[in-house]
Amino acid sequence: MAAKKKAAKPARKAAKKAVRKTKPTAKAKRAANPRKTARLWLMFPQRLITKPVVWELSQKFPVITNVRQASVTGEIGLVCLELDGLANDVKKAVAWLERRGVSVEPVEINVIES
Amino acid sequence: MSKKSGFMKALKCRECGREYPLEATHVCEFDFGPLEVAYDYDKIKKSLTKDALAKRPQTMWRFRELLPVAEEPTVGTGVGYTPLVKADRLAKWLGVREAWVKNDAVNYPTLSFKDRVVSVALSRARELGFDTVACASTGNLANSVAANAASAGLDSFVFIPADLEEGKILNSLIYGARVVGIRGHYDEVNRLCAEIAGKYGWAFVNVNMRPYYAEGSKSMAFEIAEQLNWKLPQHTVAPMASGSLLTKIHKGYQELIKLGLAKDTKPVVHGAQATGCSPISAAYKDGKDFFKPVKPDTIAKSLAIGTPADGFYALKVMKETGGASDDVSDDEIRDAMKALAECEGIFTETAGGVTVGTAKKLVASGKIPAEDSVVLCVTGNGLKTLDAVQGHVGKPDEIKPSLREFEELIEPDLKVKTK
Repeated sequence: MAAKKKAAKPARKAAKKAVRKTKPTAKAKRAANPRKTARLWLMFPQRLITKPVVWELSQKFPVITNVRQASVTGEIGLVCLELDGLANDVKKAVAWLERRGVSVEPVEINVIES
Repeated sequence: MSKKSGFMKALKCRECGREYPLEATHVCEFDFGPLEVAYDYDKIKKSLTKDALAKRPQTMWRFRELLPVAEEPTVGTGVGYTPLVKADRLAKWLGVREAWVKNDAVNYPTLSFKDRVVSVALSRARELGFDTVACASTGNLANSVAANAASAGLDSFVFIPADLEEGKILNSLIYGARVVGIRGHYDEVNRLCAEIAGKYGWAFVNVNMRPYYAEGSKSMAFEIAEQLNWKLPQHTVAPMASGSLLTKIHKGYQELIKLGLAKDTKPVVHGAQATGCSPISAAYKDGKDFFKPVKPDTIAKSLAIGTPADGFYALKVMKETGGASDDVSDDEIRDAMKALAECEGIFTETAGGVTVGTAKKLVASGKIPAEDSVVLCVTGNGLKTLDAVQGHVGKPDEIKPSLREFEELIEPDLKVKTK
């Protein structure tokens, strides 16, 4: 038993070391998930006009929200929003907005033409 | 990169008027309003005269002072000056005194009006030092970018939704463009394309080159005016996807007035949409100056933009000029395509059907008075949307190689004719 334990220890150490080696460095992490700013037009359908969706977004995701333009009527809400954060968080935030029923387009609106 | 600016002064925000250098940029950093090219009209007035025009070749570049290039154009130098056809038989079908068809279905080289905007964007891209151009498109724009880039020796990337029909992809692949299909729903593809446009140092014709690109549409207005012997048309009907073409036709007419090349006869500009994608027309009918985005469902795929970027400005132009907007169903689009083909021998794509069909509605409702004259902007070729009319234009008769059978076949027609 004792011999077995002795043999197992270095093997575990080596395995741990190997794991440590493959762990990405902070630099690699930053490269894989860089900081980005998305400039978006949000379109709120009538049922969401009175809801504090931008506030909810900032509570749920570590992103900086910056309203740059807005036009809200009784029928539709249009908000030009800058979202600043790590790329993954911005992506998740956009996906959440869409699930919530908000249409999210780039500031250019329609890039795809006929 | 050329330091020259030609007849351009700056890029100017359409919302706040802030000016920016003449670079590859498209939105105002302050309010994200779209940027537009501002010109030195005093300088243009001295150079663009009717005498000077008489000596220039018949392409859209004869109006080059009013197009956003600093030097002589280098891409698409043969584009434009398409026929303006007097359409008497179509006028009868429409119920109007006089009709003209501006036929960009035969524009060079890719049979759509997009060659105008693309040749401007690519010529300017070259001046700004780009060697790679790109676009996100589902049809005519992709074809035009691929073809014009190929002829200019520029590398091109074309981004498309991955589920696009094979025929439309072939029309870009043939020119050697790098075509990239993107899986995902429309908004995702749209956002990714905007991101790519921002990240890579390419000339994305409908993103960072948009202020230059959009100006190419004005050439349609210049040509119409010159072909009408410098008389501006009473009414012009233009199809609306993003709404950009309509606003640029109006800008083109106003520039000719400003330069003294045409008299201000208050030209009216009307907008046409397909009922299956009619956010601008719906806003017009509701008397609103904003539109509600829609999910497109129409055979007029080249006009299927549910969130039109220039919708607000198109509504403004129609209001200012006394114009109107209407929309037509898929069946009305096909009927109008057939009418244009049967009356004038012009086979247009579905967008042309939208223009012609809407014009008929505008005449019927009195928005275009029956005693007036109208120019219809036909922007693409019917050969590109054959599937839209497949099964709707009848079938050929078939007979054995027998004279008797042929005579039996045509007998009813002959009887009708001799009556």
